[in-house]
Amino acid sequence: MLAIIATNLLRSRARTIFTAGGIAVGVATIVALLSFTQGLRNTADEFIHLGGSELGIFQANVSDPTASILPASILGQISARPDVARATPLLLMVEAVKTDPAAVVFGADPNGFFTHNLVLVKGDKPRSAAHEILMGDRLAEHMHLAPGGTLTVKGRTFRVAGVYHSGVLFEDSGAVLAIEQARQLTGRSGEETDVVVQLAPGARASTAGISIEKSFPGTQIISDPEQALRAGADGTLISNAILVIVVIALIVGAISVANTMAMSIMERQGELALLSTVGWSPTRVASLIFGEGIAVSVLGSALGLLIGVIGGGLLVHALGVSAYVSPSVTAWGLGRALLVGVAIGVLGGIYPAWRVTRMTPLKALAGT
Amino acid sequence: MSQAAGAAVLVEGAGKSFGSVTALRDVSLKVKPGEAVAIAGRSGSGKSTLLSLIGGLEQPDSGQVLIDGRAIWRETHPARARREVVGFIFQRHLLLSTLSARANVEVPLIGARVHRSERRDRALELLQEVGLADRAEHLPHELSGGERQRVAVARALANRPHLLLADEPTGALDSQTSERVLDLLFRLRDALGMTMIVVSYDSAVGTRADRTVSLTDGRIQASGEPALCTQ
Repeated sequence: MLAIIATNLLRSRARTIFTAGGIAVGVATIVALLSFTQGLRNTADEFIHLGGSELGIFQANVSDPTASILPASILGQISARPDVARATPLLLMVEAVKTDPAAVVFGADPNGFFTHNLVLVKGDKPRSAAHEILMGDRLAEHMHLAPGGTLTVKGRTFRVAGVYHSGVLFEDSGAVLAIEQARQLTGRSGEETDVVVQLAPGARASTAGISIEKSFPGTQIISDPEQALRAGADGTLISNAILVIVVIALIVGAISVANTMAMSIMERQGELALLSTVGWSPTRVASLIFGEGIAVSVLGSALGLLIGVIGGGLLVHALGVSAYVSPSVTAWGLGRALLVGVAIGVLGGIYPAWRVTRMTPLKALAGT
Repeated sequence: MSQAAGAAVLVEGAGKSFGSVTALRDVSLKVKPGEAVAIAGRSGSGKSTLLSLIGGLEQPDSGQVLIDGRAIWRETHPARARREVVGFIFQRHLLLSTLSARANVEVPLIGARVHRSERRDRALELLQEVGLADRAEHLPHELSGGERQRVAVARALANRPHLLLADEPTGALDSQTSERVLDLLFRLRDALGMTMIVVSYDSAVGTRADRTVSLTDGRIQASGEPALCTQ
């Protein structure tokens, strides 16, 4: 039986390749979307842990957290809280670097923990906050810049004082400027986007978050990736859109795989009827179909995993969103896609297999 | 090759319709064990339907069909019953295109769960018997039409059937090849002692068979010695 399965698959190469290809497309779609979703979650996680913070305070009900506006005066009150160890303001500037619109420029307090936590890999800290800037190593590499070079932000040119690495995708793909310079460039004097907080020993992010929100009406606290994904109207929209896309991909993938399997089996009705004519029991014929179905599904799923992993990464780069999201492939994600691929392949074979075993051999043979 | 005893075939008042078309009407036929019967008739006369009823590929709408007293269609496992009793040969060889000649002959034996080494030995023995030992590992598309039909004959004999049913076995072959295939079929029938029912337009089949049954519009018109039916 195994020999027949192997021979059938090897000798009917075109059929095997097309069937496995159909399964691969479905599985690749699932893998790419799962890794993209996981990547978004990781990005969101990094977003709330900027500079080693444990939570971020944003303006409530904004379309997107980067559009948040908080008064600079809030910083002193937050820093004075017993559950806060340190707090520092950030002013986020998006699309501020014309040559790399995906780069985020952070306006940060030069004496705050955000700036202190950056590890310089090249150059020095800015000596003149008004004329110098720090660049993340990913951005520096992408723009082929080094200390001594110049970077133009919102039309104003800064000398690159040093290159840092923080391990956070957002930060390493962006640049850090003194917050006063950022305020001047954006015309947002006395304002900041958010305040990032490191909690006092023993304080819990969830409890402190609720307490801060109560103390400062009109703010929202983001302390976990799910909150970050849902934060603001755009975040909720994106989060729901991702869910819909994943479900659609699963349905489309499932239908595509089931359809491919069904077509592959239906075109072989005559061959399967012949097996029944020469004495194969329906169970044995079904075993052959399932054996081939499983083998092709495993082959297609493996191919799909490869395409999904490589294709997901290439797509993110091609769309120029690699600064915001890096597809994250987890063993669980791959395992789920593999399981779904094989299960769909096998399930796709059930109906045609059932039909073949119910069909009178003569009727099926007449169609050969 | 070991001897297979012939099966007795009894068809009593069998009728079969496909939608509004009546293929067989009240057909009765007795075939003795070891007998070779030719079924003749025009296209659409019901020859192939009768063969399908005898082989248990179709169920009669009325009457009954018994092989050695067994109604194959009514058995719990008709496929197993077919495997134990009947061997089929069709006009088109219906070989599995991805399998070698040997593997095609092994197919019925896989269904019977025969051990791999025994399967292989029996398939090679049968291919030897039909004169294709040297073509055992060739794929169907590498064989001539006559050779493919000889592989189909070997496959039909794999489970040592008591009844061999052949539906236009020479219909797709030229006259010389037809002659060789018929020689083979009747030689094997003589050697193995099995019952054989052959549906054919070919008058050569009628002259070699013990008896010819003639069908017209789903009814048996004549059943007798070859000379009688070919007049």
